Amino acid sequence: MNRVHRSVLANGLRLAVVPIADLRSTSVLLAVEAGQWFEPVGRPGIARLVAQTMLRGTARRDAAAWASELDALGAVARLDVGAHAAVFSAQCLGDDLSALLALIAEAVRTPALADAEVEFVRGQTLARLEKDERDTRAVSDRAWRQLVYPTGHPFQAPAIGDAEVVRSATPAEIRAFHKSAIASDGAVLVVAGGTTAEAAKDAVGRAFGDWPKRAKPRDANYPQATLATAKRRVELVPDKTQSDVIIGWPGLPRTDPRFTAARVTNMVYAADTFASRAGNVIRDQLGLAYYVFSAIGASRGQSPWIVRMGVNPQNVRRAIEVALDELRKITAGQIAEDDLAVAKDKLVGELDVALESPAGVAAMVLEAEMFDLGEDHFERYPRELRAVTKEQVVETARAFLPPERYALAVAGPALPEALA
Amino acid sequence: MLYALEARHAPVVSLWVWYHVGGRNEVPGTTGMSHFLEHMLFKGTPKHPKGDLDRLLARYGAQWNAFTSEDVTCYFETVPKARFETALELESDRMRNALISVEETEAERTVIVSEREGYENDPSFLLGEELQAIAFSRHTYGQGVIGSKDEIKLMTRDGLYSHYRRFYAPNNAYVVVTGDDEPERLIEQAAASFGTLEPSHDLGEPPKAPEPEQHGERRVTVHRAGGTLPIVMLAFRAPRATDSRAAAISALAVALAGTSTGSDGASGRSSRLHRALVETGLAADVDASFQLMKDPFLFLTDATLRPGVKHADVERVLVDELSKLSTDLVAEDEFARVRRQLLASTAFNTDTITWRAYRCGQLLSTGAATSIGDWYAKLAAVTREEIREAAAGLFVERSRSVGWFVPEGDAA
Repeated sequence: MNRVHRSVLANGLRLAVVPIADLRSTSVLLAVEAGQWFEPVGRPGIARLVAQTMLRGTARRDAAAWASELDALGAVARLDVGAHAAVFSAQCLGDDLSALLALIAEAVRTPALADAEVEFVRGQTLARLEKDERDTRAVSDRAWRQLVYPTGHPFQAPAIGDAEVVRSATPAEIRAFHKSAIASDGAVLVVAGGTTAEAAKDAVGRAFGDWPKRAKPRDANYPQATLATAKRRVELVPDKTQSDVIIGWPGLPRTDPRFTAARVTNMVYAADTFASRAGNVIRDQLGLAYYVFSAIGASRGQSPWIVRMGVNPQNVRRAIEVALDELRKITAGQIAEDDLAVAKDKLVGELDVALESPAGVAAMVLEAEMFDLGEDHFERYPRELRAVTKEQVVETARAFLPPERYALAVAGPALPEALA
Repeated sequence: MLYALEARHAPVVSLWVWYHVGGRNEVPGTTGMSHFLEHMLFKGTPKHPKGDLDRLLARYGAQWNAFTSEDVTCYFETVPKARFETALELESDRMRNALISVEETEAERTVIVSEREGYENDPSFLLGEELQAIAFSRHTYGQGVIGSKDEIKLMTRDGLYSHYRRFYAPNNAYVVVTGDDEPERLIEQAAASFGTLEPSHDLGEPPKAPEPEQHGERRVTVHRAGGTLPIVMLAFRAPRATDSRAAAISALAVALAGTSTGSDGASGRSSRLHRALVETGLAADVDASFQLMKDPFLFLTDATLRPGVKHADVERVLVDELSKLSTDLVAEDEFARVRRQLLASTAFNTDTITWRAYRCGQLLSTGAATSIGDWYAKLAAVTREEIREAAAGLFVERSRSVGWFVPEGDAA
C-alpha cells in the first residue's frame, strides 16, 4: 500500500489521500454517516430517497445543468446508500479532481431537494420496487431480512426501503433527514490515484472547508437481532426457472475485535465459490448450483452474514442440506489445516491484488477510516489475518453461524417438496 | 501471438489468453459448446489435477476467471508479480492438456444448466436472446453464447474434446500480459511457457456465413409473467470492429446513453435517451451499446418502462431520438461532453491492470486497433460529422429489429 496521507478538516471531515504514480485517473469516495443505521425508526427508504434527490439539482443549478457539468468532466459517479453510510463514489481524470469535488460538495451540501424532484425520485423508486417484486434475488433478500430483524430495526428492509414509506415520504421529511444526517461529523473522504497529497488536500479544502461543523448523534440503540430457532420462508415468484436461496444470520459490527476471525471463518465456509468449503461441495463436487458465496456486511450493527445460491427448484432442499452440513463440520472442528491456510492466504493475497486499481485502494482505505481501524491497520491487518487459529474459526462459527438456528429464504418457482 | 504492456503502479501481473473460438464457431445442435468447454478447462490436466493450481492461485489472492463470447473464449489471472510463473504454468498446461473426462462433463452439465436458468430469471436476458435470434437469419451470431438448454443437455464429452483439440492451441490464441515488469521480460517468460506447445493442424477456415442484407423491420414480443416492468429493445445492424466507422459508433452510444454507471448512477444523465425517456417519466432506465466484434453485429438500445407506460410510446421516442442523430449534427457543447466521456472512460478502464490487459486483448483479437493508444487516437479523431454519418448509416428502419417484453397480463 502506498503511503496514506491523513488529515482532518476543522469541521471534522476526515481526509485520506493515496497518491499513485503513473495513473491518469483518480477515485473519490465520500462516505457520510447517512446509511440505513441512521434512518428514522420505522422509515426504511428515507436515506436512499434523500441520496437520490441530492443528485437532482442544487441551490445553484437544476438537475440537468448539474448532470451536464458532471458529464462535461467525463467523470463517472454514483451515490449509494449502504447499511452504514451513504457513499458518493466517483472517478475522474486527475486534472479534474478539483472540479469534481466542487460538484460533489454542491450536491451534498446544498441540494435543492425541490418538491418536483422528490416526486421524480419517488416515481423512479416505486418503479424499481415494482420490478423487484418479481426479481428472485430481491424477493429472497427482503423475505430473509423480515425473518431476522425485529420491527423497527434498520436492517429489516433493504436500502431501497418499503413501498409504503416511499409513497408517504414528504419533501419536508426528505429535507429534515438531509439536515440531520448529511454532515461533516463522521464523514470520510478518500482520494486515490493520479494526484498528489497537496493537490488533493487543497481541492478538498476548497470544496468542503467551509462546510459548517455540526455534531450529530452517532450511536443508535436498536434491539438485538437473535435467532432462537431455524426460520424458513418460501416466496413463490411466477414464471422463473431458478430459485434464489439465502441462508443467513445476523452478523457482528465491523468494530468488533472478532471481525477479522469472522472474515477468515467466512472464507473457510463459503465466501468463494472455488476456495471455500460450501462452493467446493455444492458446485464442484455435486453440480447443484452455478454460484454459491457468502458475505458479511460491514457496519456498526449486525449486518447480514449470508450464504446465497442460485439453484434449480429440484435441488433446493439438497443444496441447503449440504450447505448446513459443511457448516456443522466447521462448528464440530472438522477443518482441514490446508483449508484454513488457503482461506488466510487468500485474504492476505487479495490485499496486494486490490492495489491494481485506484478504486480498490480507495475502498480499503475507506473501510479502515470509517470504522477507526487505526493508522497502522494496513501493517497489522495481514498479521492479524494470519494469526487467526482454527479454534477461533470454530468459536466464531459457533457464536455467529449456529447451524441449528438460521434464517432461510427461498424465492422462485414452486418447490417440488416442502422444506423441512 | 504475445503482447505485453508495462503497468508499474502495483506489484501485480495480469495474464490473459484469448482463443479465437466462441458462439460463432458453433452450428445448431452444438450451441453452447464453446462455453461448456470453458467450464471444462477448470477440471485439471494430467500434470495438475483439478483443484491443484486453482487452489494455489486462491492462495495467492489471485483474481481469475474466464468468459465466452460470440467471438472468443478468454481466461485470465491477476496475481502478485512473484506468482506470474504459476499463472503461466496453469494457462500453458491447459492450452493443450485438459483432461475433459466423462465424469467431470456430467458433473459440470448441471452447473451450466443452472447458469442458464439463472439468466432465464431475468426478463432482459429472455428478450435479448429472442431479439438476437431474429436479427440474424444466416450468421451464427443469432445463436448467442450459452446455448439452448436442450443442447447443453445433449453435449458429449467427445464433442467437447474434439472442439478443444481443434481450437485450443498457440496458433489460435492471443496472450496478453500487463504488469509490473519490463514488457520484454514479460514476453520472454510467456514465450518460454507457450512457445513449445504443439499447434493445431485442424483450425480450418474461419466460419463463413455472411448475414444477407435485411430488407424490412423484424419484431418479436416475449410474454412472460417473470417480470413486472415492460421493456423495449431496438437492434440495428452494425459494422465489424475493423470498420472505419467503429470509433464514431462508439461515440454514438455515448451520446445516446453516456458511459453507464447503472440506473442509480449520477453520470450519463445529460445523454439523449436519459433526457428523452427517463427525465420525462417514460422509462426507469435506458441503455445503448456497441460492441467491437469480428463480424457485423448489432447496435442495441433498450429502455425499461415506468409502470403503466405503453411500449409503442417509448419505441416512438427511441426511434425519434435516433433519427435526430441521423439528420442533425450534435451541438458543439454536447460533442465536447461526449468526447470527454469517451476518452476519460478509456483512462478509467486502463488504470486497472486487469482491465488494461482485457482492453488490449479485445482490440487485438477483433482487429479494432493495434494498441490501446491506437484506439484512443481513433476515438479522439472522431468528428461531429462522422457521428451523424454513422447514425444515418445505422438507424435505418429496414435493418431494424424490435423486441418488446410484455409482463403477462399487461396490455401492450
